Amino acid sequence: MKYKLNLVGKNFTEITFLEEISNELLNKKTSILNLIQSSFSEEIKDIRTGFKTICIQWANDPSNGELKRVLKNHHPSNHPIHHNIWQIPVCYDPQLAPDLESFARLKNISNSEVIRLHTSSDYKLHFFGFLPGFMYLSGLDPRLFCPRKKVPDLSIPKGSVAIGGNQTGIYPSSSPGGWHVIGRSPISFFEAKSENPVWAKPGDSIRFKAISKEELEELNSGEAKPTLL
Amino acid sequence: MIKDLGNAKILSTGPQSLIRDLGRFGYFSIGVPVSGPLDHKAFQWNNHLLRNDPNDSQIEINQPGLKIQFDSDTWISLAGAKCDVKVNGSGTKYFGPIKIKAGDILSFGNFELGSLIYMGISEGFQTEKVLGSRSQLQCITSSSSLNKGDLLPFFTNSTPVPSNRFAKAKWDTEYLEKTEIRVYPGFDWNHEIEKILDPAFKERLHISKLKNTMAAQLEEVFPNDISPIATAPVFPGSIQLTPSGKLICLLSDAQVTGGYPRVLQIHEEDISILAQKKPGQEVRFEKLGV
Repeated sequence: MKYKLNLVGKNFTEITFLEEISNELLNKKTSILNLIQSSFSEEIKDIRTGFKTICIQWANDPSNGELKRVLKNHHPSNHPIHHNIWQIPVCYDPQLAPDLESFARLKNISNSEVIRLHTSSDYKLHFFGFLPGFMYLSGLDPRLFCPRKKVPDLSIPKGSVAIGGNQTGIYPSSSPGGWHVIGRSPISFFEAKSENPVWAKPGDSIRFKAISKEELEELNSGEAKPTLL
Repeated sequence: MIKDLGNAKILSTGPQSLIRDLGRFGYFSIGVPVSGPLDHKAFQWNNHLLRNDPNDSQIEINQPGLKIQFDSDTWISLAGAKCDVKVNGSGTKYFGPIKIKAGDILSFGNFELGSLIYMGISEGFQTEKVLGSRSQLQCITSSSSLNKGDLLPFFTNSTPVPSNRFAKAKWDTEYLEKTEIRVYPGFDWNHEIEKILDPAFKERLHISKLKNTMAAQLEEVFPNDISPIATAPVFPGSIQLTPSGKLICLLSDAQVTGGYPRVLQIHEEDISILAQKKPGQEVRFEKLGV
């Protein structure tokens, strides 16, 4: 395992894994994150992760020596971790997907090809960030990679399914944003007042299923839940 | 002891007066920001003087216009910016504890120095708690700020604050006039960034109009062609460099991850200095060693 430790200020230590983003890296990172949390439960004020990093904010002086020892003694487990596969309904009707047509033109493919490609991948949930309940997903078909908009939209509606750069994601609440909106999902991705505000966890897979506008309206009228496959 | 509740009613408010406690911990993994006070120093002082728990909630006020009426006796305390505060229309002291009688109206006028004032209350406001914190934030609490007509519950029969406690305590406003902010090299610091940011340690920098509870952007531009990073953690006090050359200083309500290089990290104690600055005001960066 190749990584570097980066010490910032008096109380931050960031572990950066020196490899490309992959499902293997995600599994490794998850197991190390759990190990660090259990080994330093008293010492950690805050711990956050990104695609290739785990960053610790220490409550007091950093325990970097001890951290190095824990990382050195870490052996990746051979036990496969159980991950869920979730199916998310998405309506790709241009009325709810304001950027679908311009996006398809940019990529020089048809609307239906955008939808076909977007619904044929399994996306891996790496971590939450940006907004409460926003999932960072890998697995977008390279044919759908597209630079973010030069001028971000002031308000992208809740449930918007969008593409930016080499990523796809869903806005769990309305927010300004620079991604191209290609669909809308009726599912709730974050419930602050629920005991479990989110239903997925890092390592889980997400699949999108195309639904009609009528199906979307029907789901909108009830409490739409993702389907566990 | 059974505790009785009184209410403080918001008669009027400027934008963005809101409830804060020390914030949410343990929910970063689902993308929830910390939302602690922007100025920890002022917040801590009030709770200390009121003999409160350090986490007891207060109101963070960043615009004139808040008018609040109490229906029961209590103690409040003021710290942070120097603001023209009146009790029932008469001027009162700028800082420290104030005895409140049932029916009293407290109004916040112009800010003479600084941009954030904190009003603590004996045992804190007993407002809605979501994910372990009363700090108001969009997508988390029912409302993202205080609104006219809101009733903020507080305990009326709490232990009286002994008056001798305040005899010597004096709120030091020196930090409100300070411009030096100590910064550490950030998570993505390297030689290239060091060169790009060299002028940032020699020039006066200015707070732009783009300042809110999530971040304060600086006016100055540092042209660069640094690539974005794989999305990585950010914290209050992290400073990001955008492709257009702007420096974004993250504050309490900032998102938990970001894709811009994290070039600097503000010394924890100096975030209060930055948070108290108004758009147009000057700051200077003082670089600390690795």
